Amino acid sequence: MKQAALLLALAASALLAGCLQIQAPDKPIEINLNVNVKQEVILTLKKDAADLVNNNPELFPQ
Amino acid sequence: MMLSLKNLVLAGAAVLLVGAADIAYAQSAGTVSTALSSGAVGEQADGYLGFRSTPSGTLRGEVDAINIKRREAYTNLATQRGVTVRDVAVTVGCETLQKRVATGRSYLLPDGVWRTKAEDPIALPAYCGN
Repeated sequence: MKQAALLLALAASALLAGCLQIQAPDKPIEINLNVNVKQEVILTLKKDAADLVNNNPELFPQ
Repeated sequence: MMLSLKNLVLAGAAVLLVGAADIAYAQSAGTVSTALSSGAVGEQADGYLGFRSTPSGTLRGEVDAINIKRREAYTNLATQRGVTVRDVAVTVGCETLQKRVATGRSYLLPDGVWRTKAEDPIALPAYCGN
């Protein structure tokens, strides 16, 4: 019984070794959220920015 | 009689002064506008005006003055909205690049390359959204 369990465990580990190979990446994983954050701020400011430009023609000569 | 004459002279002087200020302003706007149409000065993605070619002292002074006033306006809005001055400036940059650069005029993208506006809309930086 004990031997059977051991065999099973061995077989399972052999199987696992066969299909799953997980390797740690040599470079750290970087997730760059800067662009998204910036984009969100910009979206909320968009109307204000348009008003600023339209209300101060002397600052935005053509 | 003397008093009213004095008033008249004062009024005349005031009119002259205001007239001179108007002319000075018109000239300043003229220099920058001319530089914008020739492409020597252009809008930058960072929300300020910049020089595509080396400017004269006068032109530099006038563009710098506009940029200082812009920065002031950006700072006020940034304080109101609780964001950085740079966030406001960059958003204005998106706005000016999208709407206020006419064909044939110069503009600067974040890659640091000056380009001349073609008929097609400017390819805005991704952070500008749509």
